Amino acid sequence: MEWVEVTAKSLDEASERALSQLGVSEKDAEIQVLEEPKTGMFGRVKGEARVRARVAPAIPRPKRGGGRNGGRNRNRNEGRSESDRGGRGESTPKQGTKKKNDRPAKPKVEDAAPQRRNEKEQDMADGVTLEEQAAVGKEFLEGLVSVMGLDAAVEIRPLEEDLVELAVDGAEGLGVLVGPRGTTLAALQDVTRTVVQGRFPSKTDRILVDVARYRERRVAALGRFTAQIAEEVVASGEAQALEPMSPADRKAVHDAAKDIAGIETRSDGEGPSRHVVIAPSN
Amino acid sequence: MSDYVEGDINTIDNDVVEHDVNDASASMPEEVLTYLARQLASDPDAVAIEAEERGGKVSLKLHVGPDDMGRVIGRRGRTAQAIRTLVGAAGARSGKSTNVDIVDD
Repeated sequence: MEWVEVTAKSLDEASERALSQLGVSEKDAEIQVLEEPKTGMFGRVKGEARVRARVAPAIPRPKRGGGRNGGRNRNRNEGRSESDRGGRGESTPKQGTKKKNDRPAKPKVEDAAPQRRNEKEQDMADGVTLEEQAAVGKEFLEGLVSVMGLDAAVEIRPLEEDLVELAVDGAEGLGVLVGPRGTTLAALQDVTRTVVQGRFPSKTDRILVDVARYRERRVAALGRFTAQIAEEVVASGEAQALEPMSPADRKAVHDAAKDIAGIETRSDGEGPSRHVVIAPSN
Repeated sequence: MSDYVEGDINTIDNDVVEHDVNDASASMPEEVLTYLARQLASDPDAVAIEAEERGGKVSLKLHVGPDDMGRVIGRRGRTAQAIRTLVGAAGARSGKSTNVDIVDD
């Protein structure tokens, strides 16, 4: 896990700068005070505050380093120029396009997701394919990544029959597009869907955006977490309520729980306090 | 590059500049906002950004064509909020705090 070290006039300022370098919020970071500014007479501050910070290990503490790409965007602001932006475009692997062609444009099987049939019928009526939508989203994300001076490629990954992921991947510094608890990533997905919607006025909830495999790792981590809680629930015979989560996270828990015997899950609570309950099944 | 030199008191108020949308030297949060707005808008040529920067704070005013207001704001301001988050992330990358106003004109 990468540490960033920041010096500033006050501890608050140092922490804030460290966090913005990491692209995460205080909740998701581990901050250590290396040096406190000494307060002189009349509250005048002598010396500087020095802290170091890193992205906190993801909950629920994966045993092996599920290293996020956080805090590595230092020194990457300089050196952007028109020419190296062009060069980056050339070097982008065209995997997405290949994948797309591998996938036959077969008619959609409605039984695959009966709960979404109405939306699907609407999409089919629009005559807009998911492939077309994904291509627009990919292009948008590639442009954004380049404007932000990030070195990343965008790949189209079909996840399910009716679900596609636009995966932004690169060497480092992508934490800025993930943000605290994935909030920047959520914004990125919102805007991507809105852009796609602008070109093709149709449903866009079949498009997911991931950055540096954050979503993927989060789903995996939630799966391990769910398995662990399920074990406890089975052992104790008592239901456990989890902390409130986003709809995407709740879905990951429900999905993971489907494959576990002896428990069942439901969502309780409204709005921001909506959370999953894992209960023993009868 | 902006004329503003961090920590140099003499340049602090020198850099209230209005950038052209196509200005290649625009600061990064502004470039990102321009890109997002042009991508979202049905009329990209009506997109205009006013940028004002002082002391590491970038204040951006976004103008879009009348038909695109709804699109950049979104239902319950959701798109506007997402734009602010992304522009803020771009700003954090270059050590600047940002503020985005969508101007109705």
